[in-house]
Amino acid sequence: MNTAIFILTAIVLISSPLCASAEEKKPEEEKAVTTGNVSMTGQYTDISGNRAKFNEYRDIREGVGVYVGGEAGYETEKYYLHGEAGNIGYRDQQYRFEGGQWGRFGLDLYYDQIPHNFTEDAKTFYSKPGSNRLTYPTQPPSTNINTWNSFDYDVMRKRFGGGIKMDMLKPFFFNVSANRENRTGTYPFGAAGTTPGGIAIELPAPIDYTTDAITFQAGYSKNPLLMSLSYSYSTFDNDNNNLYFRNPSNAATAALTDTLTLPPDNTYHNLDFRGAVKLPMRTKFNVDLGVSQAKSDASLLTSYVTTGGSTPISLSSSTFNGKVETQSYAFSLTSTPVSFMDGKIFYKYYERNNKSDQITTTDGADIFTNPLFDYKKNKAGAELGFRLPSNFYLSGAYTYTHVNREREDIPRNDDYLYNLGLRWSGLSFMVARLGYERLNRRADFEGQDLGGAEPWIRRFDAATQTRDTFKAILDVFPLENLNFSLGYKYKHSDYEDTILGFQDMAGHEFNFDVDYLLAKKVRFYGNFDYERAEEKQFQRTLNLTTPVYDPNITTSTNYNWTADQTNNSYGFTLGTDIYVVPKKWTLKLQYSYLKSNGNTDYAYLLNPATLAGLAPGGRTQDNIDIENWDDYSLRYYLAKITYEPTAALSCSIGYAYEKFIYDDAQYDGYQYVPATTGTNGAYLTGAYKDPSYEAHIVFLNVSYKY
Amino acid sequence: MRKFLVSFFFFSFLVFLVNFLMSGDTRGSDGTVGVATCKACHSKHYESYAGSIHAKKAIPTSPASKDGCESCHGPGAAHLEKMGAGGAGIFIFSKKLADAEQKSARCLSCHSETPLINFWDMGRHRAAGISCDNCHTVHSGTPKNLKARQPDLCLICHLSIRAQQNKQSHHPIREGKVKCTDCHDSHGGFGTKMIAANSANELCYKCHAEKRGPFFWVHPPVEENCLTCHVPHGSNHSKLLIDKPPKLCQACHDAAGHPSAPYTSFETFKGPATGSKNRMFARGCLNCHSNIHGSMGPSTRGQTFVR
Repeated sequence: MNTAIFILTAIVLISSPLCASAEEKKPEEEKAVTTGNVSMTGQYTDISGNRAKFNEYRDIREGVGVYVGGEAGYETEKYYLHGEAGNIGYRDQQYRFEGGQWGRFGLDLYYDQIPHNFTEDAKTFYSKPGSNRLTYPTQPPSTNINTWNSFDYDVMRKRFGGGIKMDMLKPFFFNVSANRENRTGTYPFGAAGTTPGGIAIELPAPIDYTTDAITFQAGYSKNPLLMSLSYSYSTFDNDNNNLYFRNPSNAATAALTDTLTLPPDNTYHNLDFRGAVKLPMRTKFNVDLGVSQAKSDASLLTSYVTTGGSTPISLSSSTFNGKVETQSYAFSLTSTPVSFMDGKIFYKYYERNNKSDQITTTDGADIFTNPLFDYKKNKAGAELGFRLPSNFYLSGAYTYTHVNREREDIPRNDDYLYNLGLRWSGLSFMVARLGYERLNRRADFEGQDLGGAEPWIRRFDAATQTRDTFKAILDVFPLENLNFSLGYKYKHSDYEDTILGFQDMAGHEFNFDVDYLLAKKVRFYGNFDYERAEEKQFQRTLNLTTPVYDPNITTSTNYNWTADQTNNSYGFTLGTDIYVVPKKWTLKLQYSYLKSNGNTDYAYLLNPATLAGLAPGGRTQDNIDIENWDDYSLRYYLAKITYEPTAALSCSIGYAYEKFIYDDAQYDGYQYVPATTGTNGAYLTGAYKDPSYEAHIVFLNVSYKY
Repeated sequence: MRKFLVSFFFFSFLVFLVNFLMSGDTRGSDGTVGVATCKACHSKHYESYAGSIHAKKAIPTSPASKDGCESCHGPGAAHLEKMGAGGAGIFIFSKKLADAEQKSARCLSCHSETPLINFWDMGRHRAAGISCDNCHTVHSGTPKNLKARQPDLCLICHLSIRAQQNKQSHHPIREGKVKCTDCHDSHGGFGTKMIAANSANELCYKCHAEKRGPFFWVHPPVEENCLTCHVPHGSNHSKLLIDKPPKLCQACHDAAGHPSAPYTSFETFKGPATGSKNRMFARGCLNCHSNIHGSMGPSTRGQTFVR
């Protein structure tokens, strides 16, 4: 497949300039135009450290590599063809082809590969990692990782598809598109050896997915009316609905095979009608009506494996038919009745109905039924904008949202969202924007009637909160050759009723961007981004056998604790393009730096003596904190000199350096088998272990455009 | 004297002829002057226009099929009379000379029937004072007449998104594998944040169809909104999470036993804790609860997403 695509693309790219030469001899009245470019880069890359993170979504080969890409276009007064290709023959290769007749029809075809590399050289004692049967010969598995099998965690998406757009029957239009995505690879899943309280087992699970989708759209668009009806159908097929693995915890029943369920096959239908009609007074009524249905079918397991052997369970039905339906209705009226005012009112209803089977499981004395989650959302609002004197634009909006969900703790939310915006464009070289948003979320909390700690828990996705957001943006372009932008955002969420959970979140963001061309000789560019995120969490430790739920009571095994997390991130780029000899010699220099520093300040709300005595002893309020919480830095240098002997030909030679350093408490001192039993126990594979890397790249590029 | 008169009449004739050829016979009764007249002074602009889709006569609604340059810039007669001074007498797509509404109105006079643009009035871009020419250039032959490719084009204004997509955990936006328009209707639509779907989850499932289920055991916040736990553009935390497990999970799951325990530096690989470390090190809760998006597993194993 890759070879065929490579050859085909190479022929197209190489033959296009020849066609161009031929076209030049054609009579002028045909007005055929051939354009395009071919780019070839020879590159030497030296990578040390984690190659998977360096190549997370790309394919830069270690050592020598030749990377070819380009595009070719052919146009006449009636027809057009355009093709482009990138990284031909590599794992991240992509191709796109478009053609058609102007104003009548168009078609496109594409093929795109998206690699996602997680970890290279992971290790496992299981044979055939990435298959749906993971086993090993003797119990217990070897803890000597030198005897384990090596493999890579990566997932490759290969997408291909195309579409046709028909405009020849205007005002009627018709579009159809279809695509397939094959996803293959190995992904880190996990399972508890026994539950609860056992070891953790990291499992190299197979990814062998096929997703197909087809969409039809037909409509009519001629003022004052638009009508469009689209239908989409998609299927998801997983070649492995279960992962069978030998469980190291099952010493007594070594031959028993444990099972981890994987995502089920599903089908999805979506029907959507959209319409708009223009009304008097520059008013437009818009409507969107949509329904969808997702279905899955699966045979459920009728037993599970424990250390004691296989435990049978009784199911009211061993076949699960999953069905989720959604309905969406949106109506909107937009209007500019007078030149100084814009208005919009809208209403949207979204409903998710879970019509899946409810199946009762009888597991010994335990009897329970899978809950079905549904929700309904009603949203309505209005927006007004006024063009004021002196080029001010003032806008205000109000949105009310009511959510009703099948959930015991917070079944209902009411959101009151207020927006205020002010824009000023009174100077021809500047636009300034200010914005403020206030969210008052009210939650109907019904957890007080539930057991355990529920009366005190407020889950942040639905908890009562007051959120303030302030934004300021300044775009300045005082000279033709100078522009810069400044942005600041402050966001603060106060979960005022929360006792256990996230109580407070705040964030500051600052962004700056500049571009300056000095005397057409030197271009300077740069940007700076800063972000600070703060989060306050209040939780309670509850003893498993004698829990005391009330946060106002403290015992040696039931006590409160807090975690205050801070993340400071900043990044900048400084660069210059020096036109040493304009349109002949250009020198490019760039330096980018990105850094994030996270930490979590834990506090056990216990007296120092009790805290110090907690097993293992020696805990203090300081030595429990975590200083490296997703800390990382990325440095990038680039030096490149470009020579353009002609307007069509360009040659570049350069050097790039990239260094990524990652440091995180959860991966520091990584051990594949920290222990073989108990809650320190785990059989890990090295997934996401130390992604730090360093790379030197020397490259030579030749580009030809025609 | 005779030579002078001959020269005078000859020169006058030339001036008349040039004027006649340039404007005389092309001036329409509606004030249009014709493409050739525009080209005489604005050859560079004309050449770029000629290479664009707007110059295709095969498209019945294109400027080339109407009044050429004057389809967008308006009749040029007044402009010509004022000798073209500073864009006088004609419509110029300039930040200084026209506001966003006026500029977009010019484009919409032809494109309002384009299905993709039909909901422009509803979008945030219009409300923010963005006009078509912020992203498109009328004269270029680039795909869709865009001024730059995605994501660079969008990131000119969306600076905070630029910062997010540079973070260590990100969708492959900067690598060119995910385009902004894969998820957003840049020309306006019905979705919050102009997303191209009726809900965030329906959008995410287009690429992550394995998360669609429907699952036997569901995790309600997952079913309601992927963005409860994930951010779309980039995060300091792996998997585009808003926070790290176990802290993220514990914000909701404070039940007796291991969900409620604080996992600190004592429970890391290097930490001295004698138990509970496999809830903290490596992937934290996900070491065991890997089916967090939904499970088809049996009994409590499925209910707690460990099978």
